[in-house]
Amino acid sequence: MKRNKLLAVALSTAMVAGALTGCGGGSEEAKKDDSKGSVYYLNFKPEVAEVWEEVAKKYTEETGVDVKVVTAASGNYESTLKSEIAKTDAPTLFQINGPIGYQSWKDYCADLSDTDFYKSLSDQSLAIKGEDGGVYGVPYTIEGYGIIYNDEIMQKYFATSGAKAATTDEINSFDKLKEVVEDMQSKKDELGIEGVFASTSLLPGEDWRWQTHLADLPIYAEYNAKDVDDLDTIEFTYNDKYKNIFDLYIENSCTEPTMLGSKGVNDSMAEFALGKVAMVQNGNWAWGQISETQGNVVKEENIKFMPIYCGLDDEANQGLCIGTENYFAINSKASEASQKASVDFVNWLISSETGKDYMTNKLGNNAPFTTFSDSEKPSDPLAQDMLGSMESGKTSIPWVFTTFPSQTFKDNFGAALLEYAQGTKTWEDVVSYVNEQWATEKAAVAE
Amino acid sequence: MKNNKVSKVLTYIALIALVILFITPIIFVVMNSFKGKLFISDQPFALPKGEMFAGTANYVTGIEKTDFFHAVGYSAFITVFSVLAIVVFTSMTAWYIVRVKAKFTTALYFMFVFSMIVPFQMIMFTMSKLADILHLNSPIGMVVLYLGFGAGLSVFMFCGFVKAIPLEIEEAAMIDGCTPIQTYFKIVFPILKPTAITVAILNAMWVWNDYLLPYLVIGVSTKYKTVPVVVQYLMGSYGSKDYGALMALLVLAIIPIVVFYFTCQKHIIEGVVAGAVKG
Amino acid sequence: MEKNIKRYFPIFVLPTLIAFLIAFVIPFIMGLYLSFCDFTTVTNSKFVGLSNYMNTFSDKEFLNALWFTVKFALIAVVTINFFGFIMALLLTKGLKGTNFFRTVFFMPNLIGGIVLGYIWQSMINGVLAHYKVTMLMDPKYGFWGMVILMNWQMIGYIMIIYIAGLQNVSPDLLEAARIDGATELQTLIKIKIPMVMPSITICLFLTITNSFKMFDQNLALTAGGPSNKTAMLALDIYNTFYGKVGFEGVGQAKAVIFFIIVAIIGISQVAISRRKEVES
Repeated sequence: MKRNKLLAVALSTAMVAGALTGCGGGSEEAKKDDSKGSVYYLNFKPEVAEVWEEVAKKYTEETGVDVKVVTAASGNYESTLKSEIAKTDAPTLFQINGPIGYQSWKDYCADLSDTDFYKSLSDQSLAIKGEDGGVYGVPYTIEGYGIIYNDEIMQKYFATSGAKAATTDEINSFDKLKEVVEDMQSKKDELGIEGVFASTSLLPGEDWRWQTHLADLPIYAEYNAKDVDDLDTIEFTYNDKYKNIFDLYIENSCTEPTMLGSKGVNDSMAEFALGKVAMVQNGNWAWGQISETQGNVVKEENIKFMPIYCGLDDEANQGLCIGTENYFAINSKASEASQKASVDFVNWLISSETGKDYMTNKLGNNAPFTTFSDSEKPSDPLAQDMLGSMESGKTSIPWVFTTFPSQTFKDNFGAALLEYAQGTKTWEDVVSYVNEQWATEKAAVAE
Repeated sequence: MKNNKVSKVLTYIALIALVILFITPIIFVVMNSFKGKLFISDQPFALPKGEMFAGTANYVTGIEKTDFFHAVGYSAFITVFSVLAIVVFTSMTAWYIVRVKAKFTTALYFMFVFSMIVPFQMIMFTMSKLADILHLNSPIGMVVLYLGFGAGLSVFMFCGFVKAIPLEIEEAAMIDGCTPIQTYFKIVFPILKPTAITVAILNAMWVWNDYLLPYLVIGVSTKYKTVPVVVQYLMGSYGSKDYGALMALLVLAIIPIVVFYFTCQKHIIEGVVAGAVKG
Repeated sequence: MEKNIKRYFPIFVLPTLIAFLIAFVIPFIMGLYLSFCDFTTVTNSKFVGLSNYMNTFSDKEFLNALWFTVKFALIAVVTINFFGFIMALLLTKGLKGTNFFRTVFFMPNLIGGIVLGYIWQSMINGVLAHYKVTMLMDPKYGFWGMVILMNWQMIGYIMIIYIAGLQNVSPDLLEAARIDGATELQTLIKIKIPMVMPSITICLFLTITNSFKMFDQNLALTAGGPSNKTAMLALDIYNTFYGKVGFEGVGQAKAVIFFIIVAIIGISQVAISRRKEVES
């Protein structure tokens, strides 16, 4: 008995010792394909994480090149990239969110001016260029966001007595929107909804629709008024416009303002998909979340976009917020072979039949490359509506939030919004806090 | 006498009330794991019946999203081998330190003791960088790191015990021609068994539940995620917080612990007491 | 014999020592040095003297975390030890089923911090939902949530140590007290508490160090929300390292301060127990 135990101990010691010495061998294995290179893509969009896994598998099947996809949790892309890129097995393909992203990651961005995917951009001015004239970020999708509404509920409302509008076209200013929304909220039982707007999700990490997307409008207006495209310090001149629409969202919702800290984006999209609410602010990428909700009652043809009216000038001509924060960048510190493998992978995505099919139909990307014909645009209702809006002659609002100082700024802004929504912080405090955070974070990034 | 009975009944009532308080959270999680995900935040205390009942759907999504069984496998691998390595190597080291009286062994002893009071945050950044440079981002690498970071407490505990072993037996063995290795494994280690069990249990609890070290070293980019890492990964939103899947995963994460606990409860409780008193 | 053993250094000590060097000694020395440097990765550091420490002490969030941790530790230590001791008293009365109760009360201690944190997050938010608020409404919810969680996790552990202490109180002494007509309360204060003083010291320090070092539970329960007002020291250090670019040096300086605080607690524990041993 004793002897047996001794044997067991000795054996396990030998195993552990063997394992320890074998550890050098273990990492060799991962490197065996060095000549071929491999792709490691750090994905930004959690909502399509599974699709990317599929793309990776498909590409490896077709070409034999290893592709690893890792998805960062929502709101954690910058910190995940930061810890991953310092590793020896760093991402070879990652994304930067615009000029600010380029500033943070320029040591890692390879020049892409000779790549096929840059050359086939339908508008090369969209790419991010460095001071030396090199190309360091190439956008792979153009996106738009606004207020998504359920037309079935709107029609039902227009038919009620004393409706404040007769068609959605009549809603073309904040004042009108407010009037309609407040009237709808008072008739919510008649309309069979729990509130006009879906939850203003303010759970930390799930608040980007407000601290980033909605904040785009007042900051854009401020840039415009000052005729600049970036600022070291802001005054948040149009904070009242932001407050207009934000108050409207939280006061006419299916969720009490004090409960917003428990809601995520998925909750909001599910509320919309289940017909509990008539409107939700989000972008064309949200189509997947709406269509995949179990028990979805909203018909595809009833899902439409309207611009976010918050009281800015010339609202009649205001369009959706259109832009991109999704630029592919290739890690210049990765091995030559892996850099080339990553370039090939992107080329395949935008030129092969399989790649293009994934890009448009499964990832829902409105890819800005000449390799995509007009028929190869995403066909979901939100993308269609967005493309329509871009061609309608209305003025799209560009995405200036790519110049927001940092993720920390956005997170702090979101936290302040939550406190405001709960009634634990005044609006004045939010405004001064945002201004202060903007200045400190801009200074910290510039260092 | 009557008074005694009353106090007995009161004690039982208090204890049963406490039991209910203690298991409520677990029952709550089990109950909600069978509820549709949208009902969890709306009606957290309702029983999962009628339209709320989601069957095993949450378990299926939870397992799929996180590749849970692989995580259990990696967690088990890392825990078992780390504990083995710690018990075998640190007990050997402790014996050496106690038996060889020299300046460097005293210095070593104090270094190990010193490491016990250093919180992980102090070394987390530099250690994860070093681990990356040395390619320790694999289950085997984790075993090395756990051996190193766990060495302090374990060496300390073994040293305390070795000091109490009389030298005579070992000397007799050596005179009989045993090498130190034979002497150690045939004579000393069996005597150390009770301490070895304590050390094994304390370290098993630590390694199995540890989150930050595997997260920083293995991270999200390798396939070797452990159970705490996948739980946090699922909840660190992943774009769509799914409370149903979370509840299911919490239940699944508790099951192995409960099984382990009920199978070697006596050793666990004794080990914890011994560990606390000595540590 | 000693010489004979000494030659076996490579077998007996080397494996542990190598792992110890990699996992502890080298990172520790590097960490100390880097707290005086500006760096983003370990290889590109620049010596900046004390500026990281200056930044730490002017960092409102760090000071807030420090204060929050101290408050939390105080309340947690008192409540856990109070309840743990009372439960230990109940379970040393020689009642039937003691084993069952002990098993149940100890179980939460085995569950990991991340899992515990999420269990309580959903429980507390479930309760608060009745009042139409969430835990992010006010830092006080997160604070008390953490206190409850910590109690739930540690009471069983502390209770077991007290039980072991109480079982060591000699029955003869208790019997003598009973014959002398001492009430239960008198026996408790005059005999039981003085006799379990060593256990009390151990338990106090265990709860203090555990409260100070708490990380997983904090991350899972509130992640510091709202606005980092419920972030404790360990979480604040983690956020400084991994949340902001360019603050690694400050993070390391905070970590050194954190280490010093924890070390002071640890050393005073050793000192106090030594003195106790001498006295008895």
